[in-house]
Amino acid sequence: MSGLDLSFGKVALFLCFGLLPIAGFLLGLRAPSIRRQGPIILAFLAGIIPILSIYIPKRFLAHPEMGMSPRLDQYLIIVAGFALPLGIVNVIQNSSRKAIRRETGWPFAVVLLVGLFVMGSFGIYGAWTGEGIGFRVDGTSTPFKWMEENCFKPLQSTIFALLAFFMASAAFRAFRARNAEATILLVAGVLVMMGRVPLLEFIATPFPPLMPAAAAASQWLGKLTEWIMDVPNSAAQSGIIIGAALGAAAMAIRVILGIERSYLGLGKGD
Amino acid sequence: MAGLLDKLLKIDRRWIFFFVALSVTVPILVPLGLPISTTSATQMAFDFVEALEPGDVVLLSFDYGPSSAPENDPMAEGFMRHCLSRDLRVVVCVLYPLGALGLANNVVARIGHEFPNKVYGTDYVNLGYKDGDRAVMRRLGDSIADAFPTDVNGRPIADLPIFHGVRSIRQVKVVFTAATGLIGEWWITLVHAQFGTPVIIGPTAVSAPKYYAYISSGQLAGMLGGMKGAAEYEQLIGKKYPVLGNYYKGTRLFTAVKGMDAQTAIHFVIIVFILIGNVAFFASRLRQGRS
Amino acid sequence: MGDLFGTWLAALLTLAAFSFLYKDNPIYRFAESLFAGVSLGYYVGIVLDQTLKPNLFEPLKTNFGLNWDLMLAGVLGALLYVRYVPRIGWVARYGLAVYVAYYIGVEFTQKIQGEVMPQLARTIRPLNQWSLASVGAFFASPSLVSLLAIVGTYSVLVYFFFSREHGRVMRPISRLGIWFLMISFGAAFGFTVMGRVALLIGRLNFLILDWIYPTLGI
Repeated sequence: MSGLDLSFGKVALFLCFGLLPIAGFLLGLRAPSIRRQGPIILAFLAGIIPILSIYIPKRFLAHPEMGMSPRLDQYLIIVAGFALPLGIVNVIQNSSRKAIRRETGWPFAVVLLVGLFVMGSFGIYGAWTGEGIGFRVDGTSTPFKWMEENCFKPLQSTIFALLAFFMASAAFRAFRARNAEATILLVAGVLVMMGRVPLLEFIATPFPPLMPAAAAASQWLGKLTEWIMDVPNSAAQSGIIIGAALGAAAMAIRVILGIERSYLGLGKGD
Repeated sequence: MAGLLDKLLKIDRRWIFFFVALSVTVPILVPLGLPISTTSATQMAFDFVEALEPGDVVLLSFDYGPSSAPENDPMAEGFMRHCLSRDLRVVVCVLYPLGALGLANNVVARIGHEFPNKVYGTDYVNLGYKDGDRAVMRRLGDSIADAFPTDVNGRPIADLPIFHGVRSIRQVKVVFTAATGLIGEWWITLVHAQFGTPVIIGPTAVSAPKYYAYISSGQLAGMLGGMKGAAEYEQLIGKKYPVLGNYYKGTRLFTAVKGMDAQTAIHFVIIVFILIGNVAFFASRLRQGRS
Repeated sequence: MGDLFGTWLAALLTLAAFSFLYKDNPIYRFAESLFAGVSLGYYVGIVLDQTLKPNLFEPLKTNFGLNWDLMLAGVLGALLYVRYVPRIGWVARYGLAVYVAYYIGVEFTQKIQGEVMPQLARTIRPLNQWSLASVGAFFASPSLVSLLAIVGTYSVLVYFFFSREHGRVMRPISRLGIWFLMISFGAAFGFTVMGRVALLIGRLNFLILDWIYPTLGI
């Protein structure tokens, strides 16, 4: 063990997040109730350390090199890295089953798997060889970058661009001034749409003599739009932010104290 | 007339799609060059960067993907051009997982070529992507090198001159986050709240209304709201820096200013759709009331 | 040649995705499935190259003595995948507990310090700064803005208070809150139109300026 940096933060974290789960695993093999309690204790520690480090600026907790909290931040960058591709296993299982059993739409499951493995392989190749996943030193694209530019980007952009059409269709069919509240919504929406772009100048383009009046009206409309955004909209958004934040803070306390356990797949009775 | 309105209400939605596509395509083929007014939020952002001193370090965070690139790319590019024109040191990082890294690589490569007198590693650097969003932000509060040990190509950042005198986000003069979703908000509520670093946000238009509350409370140093905000910023930096102005006038590449003509046309079309829909709605209600 | 092929591939995939506007068809479903697969593969690449390699593998390789404890982070992360192993799937709860609870803890201080306190502080403003020079100046008066902010913020909060039935006093305040919300949502709709259309503008720009024009030599 010589040569290992045994600063307080690292040792404390090893005890909390290393030995505790090991003990929990070994005990859990025999006693099923430990399988539920162990993670809840770990959750308490993981949740309370970042909070306490702000309010208790002591060395053991908050020191940049030796404190528990900064080191825990470092751990979570790595854990988040593992968490991001977590769904891939599920997708591979489902798509493989679909393809093997020739269920409805199985060719598309094959397309999905091919896309996944090709792109993933390029990524692994780039990381393994040190070539990376962006531009090479000479400015050419790595295989990963090429796929990203010519497959991933166009598809993602276009699939989201479809929303513009559906939004226009929905606005035409459903946006009605049925009552007072809907009318307020409609008027505010139309005013903002008119005020954010040079709409009056656009309408006056075929009629040049009207352009000065259109420009003046457009400026007034722009100021009105800014006032709507800065005052009533801002006030309402403040209320929403405060309400949602208080709700989230209350949920945070529930999770850290182990009252809320559904995220672990445990019900109220567990 | 009543029959016509009823027919309009039942129109196949593909005709609506056709008019939407037409209203966007025509201004691309025939640019109108409509004027763009500047809002106070964008002016705030511009003035803040103008007040910085040469050599100051700024952080540009790519927190968006290809799904909002037409809005956020011009913002990120405009900000980077503005900063390099003012001889500020630009540190680029990426916290959004789906596609932002490629966009950051493209922007840094493109802007790097536009400023041949600027040196990578000294005047600007691309730190690449990191998982963990808020964990990364918290680490940046103590040490940038802890969160990003290397740049995007694996070169240790301790070797890079750009970080001389800058250890953590507390020495960074401003964070500009071009964002879709929550990551932009976290720069405000976590980094600005806990470390005091000013934040300018470039959100997509969908999330922009929320940030007016942060402007009012003094938590934001400025905002570029959607493609309009990006167009305003392009116009401001084009006026102040003639080289950039000439670039924006002459480039074939997509810019936010060019996109505003199509924005205006589609707004007109959608407002007409909404008016037709409501006129038909009220007409049918009137008819029902009479009968 | 590579760029030309890439541009054509991007353009054809764009058109394949747009084909859904006419009706659902196998070409669109091919594009959709390809997108899903490539997105997941993308995650593998960025996580390995940008996070795990520089933040886990390289530090362990170059200075194990200083970074030995990072192995623990690696194990906690790997534990997340144990959920797919039938008999010991419960072990994944340890990794999940750390991952979820840490971000919940960070969020707690973020919400209070970064959202609640500054937004409440915003409503504590002087009410003696009025400008009566003109109609425009009146509506821009700092105190009118503050008054509307106070009234708007608190009426919206009253609307969202569902723990008790709204009585004679709360009901009109709640109604006022709804009106502020409707103005905000209407404004949000206007901005949403801008946002969604911007994506379409970007795509059509690519098709016309980056694909069709160069193909036709324009």
